[in-house]
Amino acid sequence: MKNEITLQTRREFLRRTVLGSALSWTVPAFLADTFSALHAEAAGSAIQTVTGKDSTILVVLQMAGGNDGINTVVPYANDYYHQARPKLGLKAADVLKLNDEIGLHGALTGFKGLYDAGQLSVVQGVGYPNPNRSHFRSTEIWQTASDADRVEKNGWLGRYFDNACPGADPAVGVTIGSQLPEAFFAEKPKGVCFNNPQNYRFIANGDATAEYKKLNELETSGPGLASDANSPDMQNSGGSIGMLPAGMPMTGGRAIDFISRTAFDAQHSSDEIRGIAARVQNQAEYPNSPLAGSLKLVAKLIGGGLPTRVYYVSQGGYDTHTNQLATQQRLLQDLGDSMKAFVEDMKAQGNMQRVLVMTFSEFGRRVAENANGGTDHGAAAPMFIVGDKVQAGLLGKYPGLAPQDLFQGDVKFNVDFRSVYAGVLEDWLKTKSAPILGKQFAPLRVV
Amino acid sequence: MLKSLASDQWNYSMAAHLLNRAGFGGTPADVKKLADLGLDGAVDYLVDYDKVPDPTPDPDWAKPEPDRMKHLAEVYRTGTPEEKRQLQQETQRLERQRITELRGWWLQRMAYGPRPLQEKMALFWHGHFATSVEKVRDPYYMWRQNDIFRRQATGNWMLLLLEAGKDPAMLVWLDQAQSRKEHPNENFAREVMEIFTLGEGHYTEHDITEAARALTGWSLDRQQQSYIYRPFIHDNGEKTIFGQTGNFDGDDFIGLLVAQPQAARFITAKLWNYFSGSEPSPELNEALAADFRANNHNFKPFLKTMFRSREFYSPEIVRNQVKSPVQWLVGSVRMLETELPPPLVCWGVTRQLGQDLFAPPNVKGWDGGVTWITTNTLLTRYNDAQSLVEGTLPPLTAGDMAGKGAGNGQRALNAMQHLRVGGVSLEKILSPEDRDDNRSIIASLENRLFQTDLKKDQQEDLQAFLDSKTKMSDADILTAIRLMMSTPEYQVT
Repeated sequence: MKNEITLQTRREFLRRTVLGSALSWTVPAFLADTFSALHAEAAGSAIQTVTGKDSTILVVLQMAGGNDGINTVVPYANDYYHQARPKLGLKAADVLKLNDEIGLHGALTGFKGLYDAGQLSVVQGVGYPNPNRSHFRSTEIWQTASDADRVEKNGWLGRYFDNACPGADPAVGVTIGSQLPEAFFAEKPKGVCFNNPQNYRFIANGDATAEYKKLNELETSGPGLASDANSPDMQNSGGSIGMLPAGMPMTGGRAIDFISRTAFDAQHSSDEIRGIAARVQNQAEYPNSPLAGSLKLVAKLIGGGLPTRVYYVSQGGYDTHTNQLATQQRLLQDLGDSMKAFVEDMKAQGNMQRVLVMTFSEFGRRVAENANGGTDHGAAAPMFIVGDKVQAGLLGKYPGLAPQDLFQGDVKFNVDFRSVYAGVLEDWLKTKSAPILGKQFAPLRVV
Repeated sequence: MLKSLASDQWNYSMAAHLLNRAGFGGTPADVKKLADLGLDGAVDYLVDYDKVPDPTPDPDWAKPEPDRMKHLAEVYRTGTPEEKRQLQQETQRLERQRITELRGWWLQRMAYGPRPLQEKMALFWHGHFATSVEKVRDPYYMWRQNDIFRRQATGNWMLLLLEAGKDPAMLVWLDQAQSRKEHPNENFAREVMEIFTLGEGHYTEHDITEAARALTGWSLDRQQQSYIYRPFIHDNGEKTIFGQTGNFDGDDFIGLLVAQPQAARFITAKLWNYFSGSEPSPELNEALAADFRANNHNFKPFLKTMFRSREFYSPEIVRNQVKSPVQWLVGSVRMLETELPPPLVCWGVTRQLGQDLFAPPNVKGWDGGVTWITTNTLLTRYNDAQSLVEGTLPPLTAGDMAGKGAGNGQRALNAMQHLRVGGVSLEKILSPEDRDDNRSIIASLENRLFQTDLKKDQQEDLQAFLDSKTKMSDADILTAIRLMMSTPEYQVT
């Protein structure tokens, strides 16, 4: 079976089937899957066809700026803690106790509820060897899952897309934000990004949009194409008719062909996303914040059946060199409440069992407070994982805070973040982690 | 291989191709001027650009500031926490302002400067040596490196390596400034071999360690903001690099690097890929390398060979290279004869499209080619085209800036909302005769924007669009231009 095809336009391709006969517009849904599988086989990589309704979904939540883990997961009974933080130290009465030694920041009522319901993992002491305290560099390390002394070009999620989702919809990864995170950088770039669904489209006045579609042969209304996205066949495949495997090799193909395909993908995913955003309603009370706005959108897209495997959202402001008490109060309240609402929304949709949320931050902060009511860049910190089937409770070990336990004033990690990624990749996304992370990290069991 | 294009093959279309690749494209008048010079004349005109005067001034802050450096050092040493914090804030504000200005300054040079190939080569070197302001921080250092890439753009490979290696930006970027004989830092030694000159597999780990030893001594005087050689941290012992032994220093090491046969192959392949849009076959690469070596690793004669060769004008190459974001922006304002948007807006555009000048994503630079095109960047190009043509603010950039809420950005954004930032003047690009007839409007625009014909049904669609307007206005023609820029054809050069 030929697995390398040159093509002029998507429409011409649709007219020439694999089976060689003239084609009506309704290509059976299985054919799209067959193509993905064929191509994947040809490419020799692990097959993971995006299938929509039943696949698991990962939501990555970046806490940008370097969140102070020590005042988030608080060792409220620890003397070293209070000695190091006379002003910033939280007392027993300020925290939501998880046990005799550890409590969550008082503002994380949303998380406490999830913890009590067995839906929250707190992974303690997560970091990596030779910690880097530069926002730019450490974020890059978390995004690319590289060792601290190497520079990797592609992101861990990008490598996941390359390795495990060869036949996937371009919206296999969705970022709510203004640009794709480095985590999504891939050999065969995938993933769409928008702040507002209305921005993710060809923006024009008057009849220019119709003209644009005509000029580029992008009609996506018509039998067998995007408007059939809700037909029974389409529901099952989760893929889109005519959605060619994005990794299709371009033998003899010109750059223009690749760009035409991309334009088609853009139009299709744009229509789909805007349709879903307009149609699907949120079923929970969210706070009024940018983070909540992002999660509301993610909830809609999940509810609307977008065949996305990984969503990426971000909450900024955690770089608390000054005024930490007030800032963390505000941010963590937002985080906990937004997460609580998102989980309620997913439950109401009947989709919560498919969803796993993972937070990360580029580093924690120093044990000792600084002279400006804040803390400076540190190293290890906790990660949070939310889901129906998580290994609930406290995982890892709370790092020692005694001076002899520190390294250059920072807490030492006991869980390498790549182990957490490995656990998510293997247990949740059901793919081998070693090809994606560059080597085998002992996975932390996450579910 | 590399025989010259036959003179009967040289025409307007080939001249357009040369100008697009060796520069950033141009108006029909620009192309015609080049076409009239003939192949050799055109190539010489572009490559021997020293003959063209370039009086463009540098930014006024583009020089060392020893007093400011001294003040900074003092405060960090003896200031109160409050003083330090304030100075840090001021410094960061100044740095942001200057780097934005520097980006605008460079784009202006690319769009309106008299030496297109020099700027196109400076852009190549910037991607090649991929140094980022995110780590280097000092905009003066970034300007200084850019200046080296411009002055040495088409000089000698060894001399360029030496200047770029001993330059403050690079000394900071790859940690050479911290290297000393007791503990040599291998970062620069490794990257110069792996990424700048030879490629993986053409050196050993031992070569790296020994090279790092040889390079010790290359250091940075932060107060004078310049390179300084520190003999006391230089490892004076014998080293063995590439099987040769001697008391090598950094200069010797660079000499050894360039003498490797692989060096000529590596850099000529990269240059061929940059200008042609495709990787050379092993055969072609050998031919390119041989030419480069025969010219003592000097770029000018090599570029002339390349730009004259029939391979460069083959159908697989012409109009088959995806425009980089910078090429897209600069080429568009040149072809549309319009102004570049303000620096802050340009920054938003190039960043959204994936090419943030002075901030490449990592040491490996930008991959280019089809990787510039994703569903997002493609839609962004199509939407930004509307802004360029109509003179409005790109919607994504506006949202992006507003979201940041950063003082300067927000104020600038508010101010800009009320300005018409450029936009196309139809009188400049359509003659009165062309303006009269819908057919000639489309043909004229086609020629200007694509230097070739569109597909027949595309032409017909555009024709029909204009014909459907009962009272065709300038706005309708601008829309047609925007539509033409919103095609796959417009994304290639």
